[in-house]
Amino acid sequence: MPPMTIAEKILASHSGQGDAAAGRIVNVSPDIAMSHENAGLVSKIFLEFGLDHVWDREKIVIIFDHRVPAESEKTAAGQKAVREFVKKFGIKNFYDINCGICHQVMPEKGHVRPGEVIVGTDSHTTTHGAFGAFSTGIGATEMAAVWATGKLWMKVPDSFKITITGKLPEMVFAKDVILHLIGELGSDGADYRSVEFYGDTVSGMSIPSRMVLCNLSMEMGAKNAIVPPDEKTFEWLKGRTDKSFSLVYADPDAFYEREINVEASGLVPQVACPHAVDNVKPVGEVKGVKINQALLGSCTNGRIEDLEAAARVIRGKTVHPGVRMLVIPASREVYLEAIQRGILETFVQAGAVILNPGCGPCLGAHQGLMAEGEVCISSTNRNFQGRMGSRNSSVYLASPATVAASAVKGEIADPREI
Amino acid sequence: MEEVFRGRAWVVGDDIDTDQIYHGTYLPITDPKEMAKHAMEYVPGIEDFAKKVEEGDLLLCGRNFGSGSSREHAPMSLKYCGIKVVIAESFAGIFYRNAVNIGLPLVECESLPGFAEPMDIVEVDIKTGLLKNITKNTEIHGAPLPDLEMEILEAGGLIPYMKSHGMFPGVGAGA
Amino acid sequence: MGKTIIEKIIGGHAGKEVSAGDRVWANIDLAVIRDFGGPNVVLEFDEATNKGKVWDPGKIAITFDYQAPAKVAKVAENQRICRDFAIRQGIENLFEVNCGVGQHTLLEHGMILPGSIVVGTDSHMNLLGAVGCYATGMGTTDIAAAFAAGRLWFRVPPSVKVIFEGGFTYPATAKDLTLEFVRVMGADGSLFRSVEFEGDMIDNLPLSGRLTLASMVTETSGEISFFPLSGEIAAFLEKRSGRKIEPVISDPGAVYEKEIVINIEGLRPKIACPHTPDNVKDVREVEGVEVDEVFIGSCTNGSFEDLKAAAEVMKGKKVHPRVRTIVTPATSEVALKALKDGLYEIFMEAGAMVTNPGCALCTIGHPGILGEREVAVSTGNRNFIGKIGKGAEVYLASPVTAALTAIEGKITDPARVLSKV
Repeated sequence: MPPMTIAEKILASHSGQGDAAAGRIVNVSPDIAMSHENAGLVSKIFLEFGLDHVWDREKIVIIFDHRVPAESEKTAAGQKAVREFVKKFGIKNFYDINCGICHQVMPEKGHVRPGEVIVGTDSHTTTHGAFGAFSTGIGATEMAAVWATGKLWMKVPDSFKITITGKLPEMVFAKDVILHLIGELGSDGADYRSVEFYGDTVSGMSIPSRMVLCNLSMEMGAKNAIVPPDEKTFEWLKGRTDKSFSLVYADPDAFYEREINVEASGLVPQVACPHAVDNVKPVGEVKGVKINQALLGSCTNGRIEDLEAAARVIRGKTVHPGVRMLVIPASREVYLEAIQRGILETFVQAGAVILNPGCGPCLGAHQGLMAEGEVCISSTNRNFQGRMGSRNSSVYLASPATVAASAVKGEIADPREI
Repeated sequence: MEEVFRGRAWVVGDDIDTDQIYHGTYLPITDPKEMAKHAMEYVPGIEDFAKKVEEGDLLLCGRNFGSGSSREHAPMSLKYCGIKVVIAESFAGIFYRNAVNIGLPLVECESLPGFAEPMDIVEVDIKTGLLKNITKNTEIHGAPLPDLEMEILEAGGLIPYMKSHGMFPGVGAGA
Repeated sequence: MGKTIIEKIIGGHAGKEVSAGDRVWANIDLAVIRDFGGPNVVLEFDEATNKGKVWDPGKIAITFDYQAPAKVAKVAENQRICRDFAIRQGIENLFEVNCGVGQHTLLEHGMILPGSIVVGTDSHMNLLGAVGCYATGMGTTDIAAAFAAGRLWFRVPPSVKVIFEGGFTYPATAKDLTLEFVRVMGADGSLFRSVEFEGDMIDNLPLSGRLTLASMVTETSGEISFFPLSGEIAAFLEKRSGRKIEPVISDPGAVYEKEIVINIEGLRPKIACPHTPDNVKDVREVEGVEVDEVFIGSCTNGSFEDLKAAAEVMKGKKVHPRVRTIVTPATSEVALKALKDGLYEIFMEAGAMVTNPGCALCTIGHPGILGEREVAVSTGNRNFIGKIGKGAEVYLASPVTAALTAIEGKITDPARVLSKV
């Protein structure tokens, strides 16, 4: 058997093939199929098949996060229809509006394991590669087919090997590393590739930081992104899943289309400027840009370590007058822990708005939209023109620390200087 | 200004609130002509009011018309869809002010119940409060509009009234 | 001749003696706009005055609570119009999207005093009658004119006296008293009247309970309501405003249109059924109705005491899996206190969600909209058809009843289940 990358191995084992070399088309059996509000569309297509049951009631996961609670009658009606579908077809893993962002709730509730194939009707499904899974976003029609058959055609992707080494400087985080990489490779730099992350910086990173790498790999076009599982992975999953899983690692001489090395110790905080995620600059070049809103949250950076990094910067200070700072813990679990650690208190005292767990205004569908000409610095993952409100508003992407520093200063600021 | 209006009667019941007259969903709308398209949309039985109402029609209501929100969209949507006078047994306080302030005449009339069927032709004198049902050939007396309200209506609304009385000291040079 | 409270307040601001029914021009102490109505006020003001100056920037306040932060770009735009106006006019009292319900925020910031006249683009402005202020909701034209002139025309409302006789105990609360008041009066029972409350229960009602009752006088079409000022509330106002507090009381011989006595002895928990706030029944009469959503918050029941009452019911329990339970503190001050006192933890652990301060589900402005045929129990003040979702049914109840209903999944009478030891 030829040596294989992680993606090749996982797809081989999930398609009943001995090997699944890059470029081959394989018929994959996913372990988990996740949807959010777009389960409404998926179920509509599914119902057209006329089936009276889904492929596997245990393996379908539905989590409401995009518009929670419903912001319009249309959404309320859509969510109601999905609840009825869940009941009718006996879907076991349904999380209503009070749980949080799908990509955070998935691992928290034990739906993510190393070596598994996860598909989700959300482009940032790549996040779960942080646990050593092959995890990727698919369309609604494909998902309806998965719900019906438990199978999905897929081309085995080529793989990139990205090795990150060196100690991260103070106030430089996983977010800065991946923004730097996206800036270097471009938004299509890893198109349809499986990205594997290696190096002592990565193994030194917490699981949430690894999730940041995998989450944002989507923004350089990756099909999926993987951090090989280690002790930290097992520790994190302990108590969350009781199912066994297999550990999948790349063969030593597996073929990588590209190998990229990043030295982390020389990095500075990065900012992705309007209106493209790969328009990345060191924070020093955009310092002083006046902001109207600072957003902390999302599937990229809404976890405890993110809130804590921001709280550290903002503690004892107040949000600059004229700046709305919005804080959105990624899930109820994160929210509760943030209460217990006094982090939410810090933010409220500083004058921030704490929103309920969910996607918030990230995709322009919920509380926190912007008016014409307004500027937001955000810990989220996309800054396309008009994404967060008016067509003529701008979004800068940065780490939670940079977001907090900017909120205090009223303009884009270097967290090392606050 | 005109003081006598004649038109078709729309007849609605008691406690028609501002959400029924103009629903909260449409609050972001700022163009009165757009507002007019949603007038009375949530009043059961006449959801198609805005499509069928004609310029010059009159609106006859029960008690406490316009209760609820302070939204000026409510009288605004009625004025701009062609309603000339709103006649009611009684009006909610905020609606009353809002209508006067935008120049939409009101008449209060306690003996209104049973006076008219939908689409009867009705005539109203806002100064005297006299109501005539032309179709049925009957008449009743409502309350004449008080002097101040009449003056505000005659001026074309609150803003022109206050301006003409020198009550706006800080008029600017524009920008 | 003796004067009622409202005659004294309006007369004092009109510079002459006034009686019910008079039309007078009176000075304004504070004019308030919010993200609802506010942008139109700004546009109308600019047009009417050719972009002139407001009469007194210190007497204008701007609050964002209708949709804060904005969930649609149009409202974001509207809020920006208000912010730009504040900068242009030198209005310092701008309360950003983090602050919460406007009236409560103004009260916390010491901007509301007994005997003052406050106007604003919110029909529940009059809840500030709870502290003896004549506050009233108005349309955009009125407020634009007030911005320019500092005064407006008023009709002096007739006064009625409402006397509560007897008393009640937990689990009946101020909200149940309020709903009983609305039931007795009906949707237009205090139409354009100034209501002066009296009775032992009223004397002992804390500020939060007075805000609840005063807020729903609106639902009986009342113009304003007043309470005898308690020492505790006077001290609170003094502390917040830094001013000496002078209560306004009616004269002996003041003329009341009528006196209404409401017996509240042994009051049972009440609930307003769809689709009008005066369709009030005992909770026990509608027990068992399955609900999809519970909302605890609003200008009526978003005070700390309200949240605490709900938390006491929910502590250590789980909300029913079908019930989406949304808790919204009225203001950031309430939120901070609730955080520190562990209420957030109780709600989150019970499976409820806590949202940011604001009007929340009470208007269609905020998230939490219902689907067709869905049922909600809300601690808000209105349950008009379609107010928070076309085809949905809304019941209004106390935080205690709402919290218990969230746990049981169906409307449940706290008098049957709970009693305070």
